[in-house]
Amino acid sequence: MSATRWQQAAPALGVLLIVALAALLQFAIRADWVDGYTVPLPSEVLASLPRLFVEEHVLARFAMTAGETFAAATMALVAGLAFGIVLYRWPRLRAAFEPWVAVLAAAPLVLAYPLFLVLFGRGPLTIVVIGFASALAPVILKTVEGFAAIRQVLLQVGRSMRLSPAQEFSLILVPAALPHIFTGLRLALVFALINVVGVEFLINLGGLGQLIGELSERYDLPGTWAAIGLVVLVSVLFFVVLDAGERRLGRRR
Amino acid sequence: MSQTLLPRLVATILLLVAWQAMALSGLLFRDVVPPLQAIASGVGGVLGDSGFYANLAITGFELAVALVLGGAGGLIAGLALGGSRFLSQALERWLNYLGPTPKIILFPVLIMMFGVGAGSKMAMGAVSCFFPIAISVAAGVRGVDPKLLQVGRSLRAGRLQMLTKIYLPAMLAPLVNGARLGFGVALIGVLLAETKLSNQGVGFLIMQAYQRFDMPRMYGLLLVTVAFAAAVNIATDRLAIRLRGSRVRANK
Amino acid sequence: MTDAALLSVSRVTKRYGPRNGGLTAVDDMSFAVERGEFVSVIGPSGCGKSTLFHIIGGLTQATEGRVSVEGEAITGPHPAIGMVFQEESCFPWRNVIDNVAFPLELAGQGRASRHATAQGFIDLVGLRGFEQRHPSELSGGMRQRVCIARTLAARPRLLLMDEPFASLDEQTRMLLGDKVLQIQQQLHQTTLLITHSITEAVQLSDRVIVMSYRPGRLKRTLAINLPRPRTADILVSPEFGTYVAELWNDLRQEATRGLAEAEG
Repeated sequence: MSATRWQQAAPALGVLLIVALAALLQFAIRADWVDGYTVPLPSEVLASLPRLFVEEHVLARFAMTAGETFAAATMALVAGLAFGIVLYRWPRLRAAFEPWVAVLAAAPLVLAYPLFLVLFGRGPLTIVVIGFASALAPVILKTVEGFAAIRQVLLQVGRSMRLSPAQEFSLILVPAALPHIFTGLRLALVFALINVVGVEFLINLGGLGQLIGELSERYDLPGTWAAIGLVVLVSVLFFVVLDAGERRLGRRR
Repeated sequence: MSQTLLPRLVATILLLVAWQAMALSGLLFRDVVPPLQAIASGVGGVLGDSGFYANLAITGFELAVALVLGGAGGLIAGLALGGSRFLSQALERWLNYLGPTPKIILFPVLIMMFGVGAGSKMAMGAVSCFFPIAISVAAGVRGVDPKLLQVGRSLRAGRLQMLTKIYLPAMLAPLVNGARLGFGVALIGVLLAETKLSNQGVGFLIMQAYQRFDMPRMYGLLLVTVAFAAAVNIATDRLAIRLRGSRVRANK
Repeated sequence: MTDAALLSVSRVTKRYGPRNGGLTAVDDMSFAVERGEFVSVIGPSGCGKSTLFHIIGGLTQATEGRVSVEGEAITGPHPAIGMVFQEESCFPWRNVIDNVAFPLELAGQGRASRHATAQGFIDLVGLRGFEQRHPSELSGGMRQRVCIARTLAARPRLLLMDEPFASLDEQTRMLLGDKVLQIQQQLHQTTLLITHSITEAVQLSDRVIVMSYRPGRLKRTLAINLPRPRTADILVSPEFGTYVAELWNDLRQEATRGLAEAEG
C-alpha cells in the first residue's frame, strides 16, 4: 500500500530533486566551491527571466521559432504523405527509392547547413528548408510503413463492397494508417523543432536559438542559462502535448 | 534479391542523371550544384589532402572521448533507471523529453565551462550521446527476460555478477542500438560545435570551404564524413551480428 | 431467366502460373445454390475452398468457367453478394454501430436512418448494448458477429462466408452456429458457407458439397434432410450422427491424402 503511494509520489519527487539540486548549486557557488564566473547563481538565472520577456522580446522570438517549425513540419507532412502514398501505390517505385529515402533519413542533414546557406541565402527560408528537409524522409518512411501494415482483409472488405478508389482512400487507407500518420506528424514536428532552433543558433538568425547565442556573446551568463531553460521548457511542453494527443488517438484502438 | 536490385540501380542512375542535368543546364542553383566530375574531384581532393587527415584525427579524438564519457554516463544512468522502478518513475519522463531537445544550444555554456578548444567539443558530443544511450539502456534492462534473472538468482549470483553475466549479455541488442544512436548524435554534436567556433577539425574545414565558396570541396567533405559515419554504423552492425552468432553457436 | 438458380457455378477451374507454384486449386467445379437455400462447401485444408470463395466473391478471376448471380456473369465484386471473411475484418477505428452501418453509409443513407437499420442487425446477431464499443473491446466471437451484421446490413441476396468461425473456440463456434440458424430462419437468407467442420456443415445446411484434395474437385453432394427449425438439440440426434459419419467417410480419404502430401 505504502509502496504504491511512493510510486504515485515519484513524479513529484522528480521535480523536488531538480529544485534541490538547484538549491545545492546555489549553496556551492555561494561557498565558492564552484566558480561563479562559469556557472551563474540559480537565483540570478530565475531573476533574469522577466528581463528576457521585457528586453529581449522572448514572446516574439518564440512566435518566430514556432512559426518556422510549423511551416517546416506542415510542408514535411504534406509532401511526406504524398510521397508515401505514391511509394505505397507503386511497389516498383518503392523498391527503387525506399533505400534512398532511408539514407536521407539517416544522413546528418543539419551538417550541410553551410550548403543550405549558399542555396537559399542567410534568412528564414534556409531555416525552414533545413527543418523541412530533415523531417521529410522520416515522414515518408512512417507513411509507407503505415499503409503497408494495413491488414489485407480490410482492403478485401472494401473491394467486396465495391468502394471507389477515393472511398477506399478516405474510408479505409487513411483511418487504418492514422496512428502511423500521427507518429509521422510527431516526428515531423520534433525534427523540425530541433533543426530550426539549432540552425537559428548556428547562423545567429531569428528566434529563440539566436537569443541564446546573443546573450552568451554579451557574457550575460544568467540570461544565457535562463534562455536555454526556456527553450528546453518550450520543447518539453511541446512533446508532452504531442504525446497526449497520440495517446488519445491510440486509446480507441 | 535481383528483383529489387534492378529498380534500385535504375533509381540511382536516374538521380545521378537528374543531378548532372541540373548542374550542366545551370538553370537552378547555378554554381551551387556542381557537376558530378567536380564533386568526384572534390572527394579526391579531400582524400588526397594530408591536412584533412590531421583534422579528421582531431575530430575523431574528440568524438572518441565524447563517446567514452557520454557512454559511461548514459550506461550508469540507464542501469540505475532500468533497475529501479522508483527512479524510473521520478526521472525517466525528464530524460525522454530532454532527449529530443536541440543540444547544440548548450554549446555557449559548455564553452564557458570547458574552454574554446577541444574540451567544449568533447563535452558537446558527450551531452548529445548521453540521452539516447541512457534511454535505450533503461529500456533494455526492463526488457531482460525475467526467466534469465530467476536463473541468476537461483544460482546466488552477486550484484556485480548479475550485471556482467546476465544483464549486459542479455541486453546486447539495445546496447548496440543505443551505441549507434549515440554515435550518430555525438558526431553531429562535435561537428556542429566545430563549425560554430573552432580552428581545427572537420567541422572547421567545412566552414572554411563555405567561406571560400569552394563548393566541390564542401561536397567532398560532407560526402566523406557521411561515408565515415556509414562505415562505423556498418562495422557496429557486423560486430553485433558476430557477437550474437557466437552466442547462438555457444548455446548449441 | 427468372427461374434460374440464384448462384450458378459452372465448370470453374483455377490454375496458378508456374511462378505461384503451378497449382490447380479448383478443378472443373459445377454446382448451383437455389433461393432460400443454405449450402456448405466442405473439404480438407488446402483443397482450394478459399480460392473458390474469392472467385465467387469476384476478388479473383477464374482461369476457366463461369460464375453467375441471377443469370448475370460475375466479373468483379457483385452487389448481390455479401462476403464474410475468415480473418476477422471489423474496422478497428469504427464503433460497432458504425461498422454495421458502413454499407448503408456507402449507399448514401442519412445518419439516423442508417443507425436505425444497423440497430436491427445488431439485435439480430445479439449485440444489443454494445453499439458504442470499439472492436478492440470485444471478444473474437463478438467481432465476427459484427462482421456478419455488417455484411447483412447491405441486404445481399447471397451471403457468402469463408470459415467465419475458424479462429474461435469450440463453445463459441456452437453458440454462433445457433445464431446463424436463427438468422437463417428470420431472414430466409440464401447462404453459401465454406467450412472444414463437418458438424457445422450438417447442423446448418440443406445441402453439403464435398471437395476433394488437390486438385479441388467436386466429390459429392449430400442433401441434409433434417427438419427445420433446427436448434442445438439436433447435434445429439441419431440422424445427425449418420450424416456426420457419412461425410467423415468421404473426407477421411481426402484429409489423409492431404496430410501425407504435407508430410512427404
